[in-house]
Amino acid sequence: MSYAPESVVGAWTIEPRQSTVFAKLAEVWRYRHLLGYFATRTLQQLYKRSSFGWLWMMVRVTAPIGLQGLIFGAALGMESSDGTPYALFMLCGQTTWILFDRSLLFITRSMERNKKLIAKVYFPRLILPIAAVSPALMFLTILSIALAGVDVYFWHRRGIWFIPLEWRLLLAPVAIVISLAFAIGIGFWTSVLQARHRDIRFGLRYTIGFAMYATTVLYPISQINSPIVRRFVELNPMECSIELFRYATVGTKLEISDAVFTYQLVAIVLVALSGIWFFNREESASVDKM
Amino acid sequence: MSDPRLVIENLSKRYWIRRAGSTEGGGTRLDRLKSFFSIPLASDLLHAKELWALKDVSLSVEPGRVLGVVGSNGAGKTTLLKILARVIAPTGGRVRGSGRVVSLLELGAGFDDESSARENIYMNAALNGIPRDVVMRRFDQIIEFAELQEFVDTPVQFYSSGMYLRLAFSVAINMEPSVLLADEILAVGDAVFQERCLRKVHELAREQGLTVLFVSHDMEAVSRICDRVIWLKDGQLHRDGQADEVVTEYQNAAWQLLAASANGSELRGSSHAGKYGEILDVKLVSADGREIGSPPRNEDVYVRTRFRTHRSKTRARCTVELNSKGVLVLRSTQPFLYDVGADQAYEAHVKIPANLLADTGYTVNVGVTLVKGEDEEHALVKDKALSFMVYGDAEVNALGSSLQRKGVVDPQLDWTIVVEPNVLRA
Repeated sequence: MSYAPESVVGAWTIEPRQSTVFAKLAEVWRYRHLLGYFATRTLQQLYKRSSFGWLWMMVRVTAPIGLQGLIFGAALGMESSDGTPYALFMLCGQTTWILFDRSLLFITRSMERNKKLIAKVYFPRLILPIAAVSPALMFLTILSIALAGVDVYFWHRRGIWFIPLEWRLLLAPVAIVISLAFAIGIGFWTSVLQARHRDIRFGLRYTIGFAMYATTVLYPISQINSPIVRRFVELNPMECSIELFRYATVGTKLEISDAVFTYQLVAIVLVALSGIWFFNREESASVDKM
Repeated sequence: MSDPRLVIENLSKRYWIRRAGSTEGGGTRLDRLKSFFSIPLASDLLHAKELWALKDVSLSVEPGRVLGVVGSNGAGKTTLLKILARVIAPTGGRVRGSGRVVSLLELGAGFDDESSARENIYMNAALNGIPRDVVMRRFDQIIEFAELQEFVDTPVQFYSSGMYLRLAFSVAINMEPSVLLADEILAVGDAVFQERCLRKVHELAREQGLTVLFVSHDMEAVSRICDRVIWLKDGQLHRDGQADEVVTEYQNAAWQLLAASANGSELRGSSHAGKYGEILDVKLVSADGREIGSPPRNEDVYVRTRFRTHRSKTRARCTVELNSKGVLVLRSTQPFLYDVGADQAYEAHVKIPANLLADTGYTVNVGVTLVKGEDEEHALVKDKALSFMVYGDAEVNALGSSLQRKGVVDPQLDWTIVVEPNVLRA
C-alpha cells in the first residue's frame, strides 16, 4: 500500500477555540470533492422514487409561472415599463427570484437533513449549505432554456430579438451570483437555526412567499404610485439582483437610483459576512445540542 | 522509539445539563427569543448543571500502538473518540497529532442507505479528503476485503449488519489512516471476520505504524489485541498500563460493584418468596460447613441454598447457575425432592469441585421450583444471590503473563503424551 502524495496529511492540532473563518474557507477548498458529492446527492433525493423525475422538475417550475403569466399578463393586462412583452419581463424576474427562493429553502434544510452525518463524521460543515444550492441551479437552467424559448417565440411573432446577444448579457451571471450570495448568506443563519428549531422552515416559506410581492418580480417598480410603498420595496436587497438581471437580458434600464443599488449590494455583503460568522461560531455548539 | 503520533494534553469536555423547569419551551417571550439565537440566559445558567464528560486527560500514543480504552458507560470513552474525530470540540486542553484520523464511531455513520457500496466508497473517501482517482485505484481491494464482490451495486440498506460492518471496516482501513478510532464496532461481526479485522489491524500497526484506539466492553477482545490499555473513570484517566494488568484490575472492580448491587437486591425482596415457599438465603460454604467469601481454586466448595416450603404435598427442585464475564458458565439442577412438608425448611448443597473454576469473579443465580399436582408450578428465583471471587494458586500466577489468560472455567483435564513410533527409520 503506497501513500499517494496528494493525500498525505501533516501535523494538526485540536483546540477548544474555533479556527478563523479564513482557515475554514481554506478547509472547504481542501474538501472540495465533497461539494460536488453533496450537490448531486441533494439533486438525486429530489425525485428519487419517481418515474418521470426530470419531467416533474420542469413542470414544477414552469407551470406556476405560466399560470402567473396568463393571469397577470393576459387576463389583467399588466405591462412592462418599456414595451418588452410581459411574458418575457416576468420570466426574467422569476428566473432570478426562483433561484433565490429555492436556494434559501434547500439551504435551510441542509444541516437538518444531514444531522446523522454531522454527529458522527467530521468534514467542514460550511460545505453543506453551499452544496444545497444545486437544485436551485437546476431550476435556473430550466428557466434559462424557457427564457430562450420565449425569446425565440417573440422573434418569430414580432421579428425583434428582445434578448440580444450583446456584451451586457455578461451581467446576467453577475446578477445570479448576487442573488446566490444573498440566499447563502441568509441560509447560513437559517440552516443552523433550523437544525434546532423546526419552526424556521415553516415561517420561512410564508416570509419568502410574501417577499416575492415586495420585489418587482411580477410588476415594474415604476408602476408603484405610493412613495412609501416604493421606499419599502427599495429596502429589499433582492431588488438589485432582479433589476440587474432584467437589464442584462431584456435591457430594461435600472429603475432604481445608484445610491439605492449600492445600499442593496452592501446589505447583501453584510448579510453574507454575518452569516459566515454566525455559522462558524455556532456549528460546533450545534453538534452538542443535536 | 519514534515520536508520539498523538499527544493529548489536559483534554476536557464540559456539557451543560438542563434541569427540569428550565426555559426550554417556557419562560418569557424574550427568553425564548434569546435561546432561539443561542444567547445564554441567566436562568439557564442557574438551572443547568455542569457535567465533565472528560477532565484533564493527558496521554501520548506512539505509532504502531494498539491502545484499548475501557471504562463503564458514561466514563468518557466515546467523548474522547469524538473529540479526536473532530466531531465535537473540546472545552479545554489540546491534542497534537499527525496524519489522517479515520473513525469508525458507529456502524454505518457516513453511509447513505439508499446508495450502493460503490457510491458510498466514493463518498467516504471524499469525507476523508481523498480524491476520487486515488480511491479508484483502491476500489477492488476494498471490495475484496469486504467480500462484497456480488453486491457492489446493491443499495446498502439491503445489507445485513455483517455486510455493513465489513464494508465500513474495509473502507476505513483503506483510507490510509495514521490513526484509527474504533468504538465498540467489531461487536457486530461474526467471529471469522472479527479475527480477520484484528489481524489486519495488527498487520497495519506493525508494518505501517498505524495507531489504533479501540473502545470495547469486550474485555477478552481488548486483552487480545491491545498492548496498552487506559481505563477512564468519571471522565478521568484512572489507569494506564499493560493490557493484561489494567483489564484484570478493571474486571475485579466491576465484579466488586456487581457484588455490592447483589447485596442491595436482597433488601428489595424480589420474587424469591411466594405462597408456596421462599428462598431464605444462599451462601458459599466450605466442606466443613464454614461460610466463605472467596474460595481457593484447589478446594471443593458448596453453594448452600436454604429454602422453606409453605404447602404440603409438593415437589421441590433447586437450580444453581454460575455466571462469569456475562456468560452462563454452568447450570445444575437437583433431582426432585418429593412430598415436602408444610412449613419445613431445607438446605440444598451443590458441590463445585476443586480445580474447575478459573481465578475470576462469579455470580450465582438460584431458583427453586415447587410443583403441586400436575401443572401447578411455582418458581422462586433469586438473581445474583451471591458473588464470589476464586483465588488461584501462586505457582500458576508466577508463569508468564501470556499464559495467564483464561476462559470462564479452568478445569484440570487429563492429558496423555506418548512417543510416536518412527516408521521411516524402521
